[in-house]
Amino acid sequence: MSTPTQTETTPKSTFARLRDLWNDYLPYWFMAPMVAVMVMITFFPGAYDLYLSLIAEPTLDVFAADFVGLRNFESAFTRGGAIHSFVITITVVASALLLETVLGFVLAALVAGVGSDRAKSFYRVLFIIPMAVAPVSLATIGRIMLNSEIGIIPYVINTGTPFAAPNFLSEVPLLTVILLDAWNWTPFMFIIFYAGLSSVPKTLIEASRVDGAPMWRRYVHVIIPYMKPVVFVATLIRLIDLFRTFGVVYGLTGGGPGTATQLVSINIYEQMFINNQITVAAAIAIVYLVLVVALCNVIIAKVGFEGVWD
Amino acid sequence: MATTDSDSATASQRLDKDTREKLITVVRHTILLTWSFIVLFPLYWLASMSLKPPGTANSLPPDWIFLPTVYNYIQLIQDSGFVAAFANSLIMVSASVVLVLLIGVPAAYVLSRYDIPMERDVLVWILSSRMLPPIAVVLPFFIIFRELNLFDTRIGMVLMYVSINLSLVVWVMKAFFDGIPETLEEAARVDGATQFQGFRKVVLPAAKPGIFSVAIISFIFAWIELLFGLVLTSFEAVPVTLFVYSFIGSRSIEWGMLAAASTAMIVPVVIFLIAVNKYLAAGLSFGVVIKE
Repeated sequence: MSTPTQTETTPKSTFARLRDLWNDYLPYWFMAPMVAVMVMITFFPGAYDLYLSLIAEPTLDVFAADFVGLRNFESAFTRGGAIHSFVITITVVASALLLETVLGFVLAALVAGVGSDRAKSFYRVLFIIPMAVAPVSLATIGRIMLNSEIGIIPYVINTGTPFAAPNFLSEVPLLTVILLDAWNWTPFMFIIFYAGLSSVPKTLIEASRVDGAPMWRRYVHVIIPYMKPVVFVATLIRLIDLFRTFGVVYGLTGGGPGTATQLVSINIYEQMFINNQITVAAAIAIVYLVLVVALCNVIIAKVGFEGVWD
Repeated sequence: MATTDSDSATASQRLDKDTREKLITVVRHTILLTWSFIVLFPLYWLASMSLKPPGTANSLPPDWIFLPTVYNYIQLIQDSGFVAAFANSLIMVSASVVLVLLIGVPAAYVLSRYDIPMERDVLVWILSSRMLPPIAVVLPFFIIFRELNLFDTRIGMVLMYVSINLSLVVWVMKAFFDGIPETLEEAARVDGATQFQGFRKVVLPAAKPGIFSVAIISFIFAWIELLFGLVLTSFEAVPVTLFVYSFIGSRSIEWGMLAAASTAMIVPVVIFLIAVNKYLAAGLSFGVVIKE
């Protein structure tokens, strides 16, 4: 700007050329780091897990390793308890997902129907708080409150009701895990469903009200069909995250008692760090990874994001 | 169906309409208050336990009324392990949020504004990074980090935290950018701004609420993460979740201090959650549910 004659006569400075390069290829610069990181966190772990699962033991030179075919898979699924841990995982994921979806929807519908705006936002803000609790802190809370000697909940059940409290952590550990997860993550479903419910057009509700349809029929025939895409997205994301569950179970029971709450993620962790069988761990990991990704992609392909996406 | 029957039914319904609505309101609030209690009681219990004098934290029947003391918190602050872990988590998680925004937001802008070939597949691929179970991801990184000297370093942990949140940032920000009219940037470009200037000076400020909320949600997801710390750190880069876990693991649990450590972990996140509660649905649904 200060010396326009100079810039006209001399060829473009390096800086200006760099700037042109930046501006001309902007989309590429913007995408490149994301794509690089994505490749690093998707293809690399998958490929490496697969490689590890096929070798005898990791070596410094990756090409020097002995390939042993499917031996690691064999020991994982015959002796490693992999099948059991898959059953446990499916049980926890399915029950927690169902419970959280139903509870989240009921709570969202109840809050949406509250008359006063202040009460509405009170409930809305209050109900999201459990999400602030890290799984490992939730495990702490569970251990404190459910402990059969010092826990307040068994104490209240034993003294305040005619029932005897079960030992939550050793007699019904799976149920305890599911209930704790539901406490933690029902808010996730609640807040998305609540947003979805508030976007249902008023005219749609008014029209059904004029018909004189009772409330439950309004939900079944008008509101839930309208909400379908929102319900789909919320359950899909929750499903994805439920397969990631680790901290709450690891902190609460460590997979026990015995292997009663041994999720796949805990089984892999134990194969790796307690049994020191990293190749067996990788065999379970690659099966888990492929199953979860395939399941989620099949769901996305079947249902699609129609109505909520693009 | 006889017409007289249904007529009389609607008549009696109309008569009772007021009482019925009152009844519904009572039932509604009873259920909602019950759930409020379920939500609050464990948190109250944890907090009250952290404020009880040592030795009385877990006495039964519980001391409902007690003189609160910050004894446990003072113990906690004097515990160098806790202070280091808390500081580690703050630094590592904040750095990961900055990094994930720097990587994810520009990419989301391109995905929103340009015609990308197979855009849908690209987006599902990005989402699939979230589907990979962390334990399957961490296993290769455990080996690689040791060879690259990234094991038990803050940098290594920051990279892993970025991997948790990148898909979330890209999806949510793409949705936010989709909601910002392109005419805004076009006007800026007519005034002589480059594409980049248009992005930085026009689009980014308009997307501020989205960036703010996705930053906080990313912070939370990284803050609560246990597994990466468990596998990839041992001493130097221990996050606060792992500190709390190692507390549980120790033989003689000091319940008061454990409760204090957990409370200290939860309180900041509660404040964050409440701060972004309006945008939470958009953020948590990966930007799919935008309206509130």
